[in-house]
Order: sequence, then C-alpha cells, then structure tokens
Amino acid sequence: MDAYKKEVWFTILMSLAFVLTGHIGFLFTMFPVEGFFFGFPVMYIVPILFGWFGVLILTVVSGKIGNRLDEIIEEEDQQNRKKQSGEGAM
Amino acid sequence: MEEQLWQLSNPIVGIAIVVATFILFYVVSWISNRASTSVEDLYATKGGVGPVTNGLAMASTYMSIATFLGVTALILQLQVPFVILWIQFILAIPLITIIYGTSLRRMGAFSPTHFVRDRYGKTASIIAALWMILVCLMYALGQMIGIAVTFETLLGIPYLTGLLIGGFIIVGYVTIGGMSGATNNAAIQMVIIALMFIIPLGAIMKAMGSTGWYFPPLFYADMVPAMLEAMPSFFDYQYNTKWYFALIPAFTLGALGLPHLAMRVYTASSLKSARSAMIWFALALGIVFASTYTMGFAGVYFEQSTGTIIGEADADKITIILNLVYNPEWVTALVIAGAISAGLSTISGNLLAIGALISQDIVTTLKPNLTNKAKLRLGYVSIFAGGVASVLLAIDPPAFLIVSILWAFGLAGSTNAPLIIMGVWWKEANRYGAIAASLGAGIIYVVVSPFVFPNIVVSGHALTDSMGISGGMLAVPLSFLILIVVSYITNRIPALRNEAETKEVHGLIERIHGWSDINPKRYNSTVGAFIITFISAVVVIWAIMPWNL
Repeated sequence: MDAYKKEVWFTILMSLAFVLTGHIGFLFTMFPVEGFFFGFPVMYIVPILFGWFGVLILTVVSGKIGNRLDEIIEEEDQQNRKKQSGEGAM
Repeated sequence: MEEQLWQLSNPIVGIAIVVATFILFYVVSWISNRASTSVEDLYATKGGVGPVTNGLAMASTYMSIATFLGVTALILQLQVPFVILWIQFILAIPLITIIYGTSLRRMGAFSPTHFVRDRYGKTASIIAALWMILVCLMYALGQMIGIAVTFETLLGIPYLTGLLIGGFIIVGYVTIGGMSGATNNAAIQMVIIALMFIIPLGAIMKAMGSTGWYFPPLFYADMVPAMLEAMPSFFDYQYNTKWYFALIPAFTLGALGLPHLAMRVYTASSLKSARSAMIWFALALGIVFASTYTMGFAGVYFEQSTGTIIGEADADKITIILNLVYNPEWVTALVIAGAISAGLSTISGNLLAIGALISQDIVTTLKPNLTNKAKLRLGYVSIFAGGVASVLLAIDPPAFLIVSILWAFGLAGSTNAPLIIMGVWWKEANRYGAIAASLGAGIIYVVVSPFVFPNIVVSGHALTDSMGISGGMLAVPLSFLILIVVSYITNRIPALRNEAETKEVHGLIERIHGWSDINPKRYNSTVGAFIITFISAVVVIWAIMPWNL
C-alpha cells in the first residue's frame, strides 16, 4: 500500500476510534448494560474511563503512527522526485 | 428552605489572591511578549512552543470557566446526560491534530481562515472569518458571564459591576499579552486550575464523608449508595439514542471548527511536537474533566441530602457554594482565583483568534499592502474591540453561562469545519461549494436556534435546542452535503472552471500533506465524497424527524 492510502486509512480509522471512545454513552443507549463496576453503575463509569484513559492511549498510538507516516511520505516523495528527475534526464 | 445569598463574607483575602494571580499573569505576558515585533509573533509565537507547555495551554484554553461553573450547573440540572455530553469534548484537539492540524501546521497557517483563503479564495475566507468572529464572541460571552458571576461572589457586588471590572481587566491583559503571553500563561493557568479545583474538591469529599477524598476524579464510589437513596434517578440516561448521537455532529465535529483551538496546534515547534502536545492535552484535560463530574455529583448530593435549594440564578455557582459550605473562606478564594484563571485563558484564546480574524483574514485580505507595523497595531485594536464586544453582549446574559458556549460549537461545525476538513482531503471541494455551505448551513443553524425565532426549532425540547444539539444535527451534515454537491456540479460547468487556479489549489493540497509533486489520484476520491454525502443526507433526514424527548 502506498503512503497516500496509508495516510487516508490512518486518518479514517483513527478518527472513528476516537469518536467511538469518546461516545461510549451513545453505544450504551443502543446496548444497555446493567451492573456495577468499580463501585459505580457501568453505564456511568465506563464512558468516563474510556473518555479519559481510552482517549489518552489513542493519542499515544496516533502520535507514533502519525510520526511514522510523515517519514513514509517523505521517503516516497523523495523516490518520486528521483524518478521524475531520472525521466527528465533521459 | 429559602434560597440563600452565596458570597464571601470577608472578600479581602479573595481580592488579595486574585490580584496576586493577575500580577503574575501580567508579568508573564510582559516578559513573553517583549519580543513580539510581527504578526507571526503575536499569533503563532514563531511556532516555537514545546509539547508540554503547548499541551497544557491547549487544555487550559479549551477548559474555560465552564469547567468551574457551567458544567457543574448543568450536571445539577440534567445529571448524567450532561456528564456523557461533556466527556466527548476531550476529542477536540486529538481530532483536530490528526484530521487537519498537522497539515495546516505544515502550510504555516495562522488560523483556519488563512487556509480557507488560500484554498477557496477571498470571498469564502471573509464569509468564514465573519462566522468565526461570531463563534469566538459567543464563546467569549460565556466566559465573561462566568467572570462576572465570580466577581459578584468574590466582592459581593452586582453582576453588571462585576462584569465591567472583571471584563476590562481581562481585555487589557490579553491585549498586552499576545500569543506568547497567552501560551505561557495558559500553561501556568492549567496548573492553577487543576490545583485549585481538585484539592478543594478532595476536602469537600472528605467533609461529605467519602473515603476516596485523596483522588477526587475517580474515588467516590462509596457515595454512590447514598446518592441512589437521595436521588434514585441520578444515573439515568433520560434521553434516547438520537439525542446522544446528535452530540457527534453538534459538538465533536463542531469543535473541529473552533478557530482558537486549532490555532494552538500551529504554535507547535514541529509536527512531532504537535502530536506530543495532544498526549499532554488528553492527560491534563482528563484529570480535570473527571474531577468536574465529581464536583457535579457532589453538588447534586449536597442539594438532595441537605434539602438546600440552589436557585437557577445560583446554579452556575455550585462549585463556589460547595467550597463556601465545606471549606474555609481562603480556600474558596483560591477556587475563585482558579475559576478566573480558567476564564482568562479561554478569553485569551478567543480574543487572539478574533484579532487574527479581523486583522489577518479580513483587513489584510482586502488591503494586502498594509505595513507590518500597521498589521500589528490593527491586531491589538481588534483584540481589544472583540473583548469590549463580549463584555457588552454579557450585560443581558442567558440563564446558564454554558449555553452560549455550547451553541457556538454547532455554529463552528456548520460554517467552518466542513470547509476545512473537505478542503484538506478532497481536491474537488471548490469556492462555490464552500460559500454555499458556509452561508446556507450557517443561516439555517442561526434560524433554528431558539434565540432568533423561538417558534422555529428542530426538537422542541428547550435545552436541546438552545445548546445547539438539534440545530447542529441538522446544519452540520447539511453543510457537508451542500459543499460536496455544489462543488461536484460546478466543477463540471466549464464556464465556472479556472484551470490555473485549480492547479494551484491542487498543489497546495499536496504540499500540506507533505508531497512536492501533484498526483491527480491523490485526495480526489469520488467514492469517499459519495459516502459522506449519503451519511450526511441520512443524518439530516433523521434530524428533522420527531425527537420524542
């Protein structure tokens, strides 16, 4: 897969992951859960925990992938430039 | 029980603490901003801010006085639905960073409108800038109301006097400070907010009998049985799936159009630094947000268990009231200083965005030959004028300070976010689509808000309409829909095409993603545009169907 496709898929999937993690309450309205976790009702504490630690983990993951993507794009861009200058010289 | 008057009995300690924090902020501003000689320095600090400072400043700018006052007030009124509503606000900076922030940072933009100008041309950028000024004013309005409420409690003075005193001190501070001052101060303010909110909260929990007082954000489970007894409905979701879904277009996408937030990404020293800042942002914001839910929980618990009635006019003061009841007065004074810090950092961000919008995006677009000195002076005048306007608007405020802030999210989502997102990711998006989307969806959002025509609303549920939840669910997807359809059609009308301009725009899109060549296959997906159009149309139809709230 070329760098462009990786960039597009990274942005789509990561955005979806962030939106779902921050909207666990929305998911619970469709799939309600009974019971307690950590002393709180599940449908109260789980959205709070995901909205904090879940998002925090995703920022670490997306930061690392984003930095790697920059490198991949830069490498592919350089290769494209070399190809173009090679074609120009012929 | 009758309603009580909630204010400090001895304001001298409070005034001393607030004055001390203001002196600190003025000194930091002055030192940071001595070297501000150009507009680049004023708005983007030459892109030289490290990730920790920037991450804390992002959190501080975003958190606003609503964290201290507005959020707890609405938890008091709505209980858990408002907690669920608030959780998703943490997504703003991470989504801005990954969807378009790094691209606009690579471009070297001052503000989102700077990108809109280069991407769609002058007319679209001036329309977007005018909307963004309204967004920033509504956002700053909420802060000014909060500042006035805090000064009212601090000094025992009427609301209007509190507004004028607090408002003008803050406007002066931001005008002198510029972005360097604002960024360094915002980072300091983040620490003050965290300490002055969480530590007193721990003391309140201890006084209420909670054993988890040493970590207020999460350790209050032992109060849950008592809460269920005092108010069995506290944890109920109350609203249907549609209401919770509507939070995505109205607030999550809305946040992507907030200019003062996006500007924080551009102050990063590098793309890596911007991404690291996002981690610090999530960490800091998570702690304070979770503590806010605890404060809201404690407020409801206090009201239910003691039978104290907190009137609508005092609902915004619940954090201060709990401190007045359970903590010594000097602690309440610290909390008030924290609340003012929170308002200050957000107003700074708002006013700087207004300054950049007026001086850079409107006047410089219309008169490009202005000297650097004139631009800088104009920037300062615009910041000051924006501040005065927000003070004047706050003279007759809405019932809850947070309502105007939340309403601003939907407006930003309808008028700006689609232009930026599609502009970065879809080459076919053009000026006609952008102008039609920004004007069409923006006007519809304003029309369906109960502030303009009380009879023309989307859901019929007062708070849902006034917070822009229902309006956002209608207007934000509509904006994407208009942008895509109009762009697609006008690109196929030869008379409306300008090949040279199109080539330039395609070059810009490739460049901001890190490419030095132009490849027609990149950022040009018709399938992607079709999917967004389809989803948007479904959401628009769902929005206009009955809400049953």
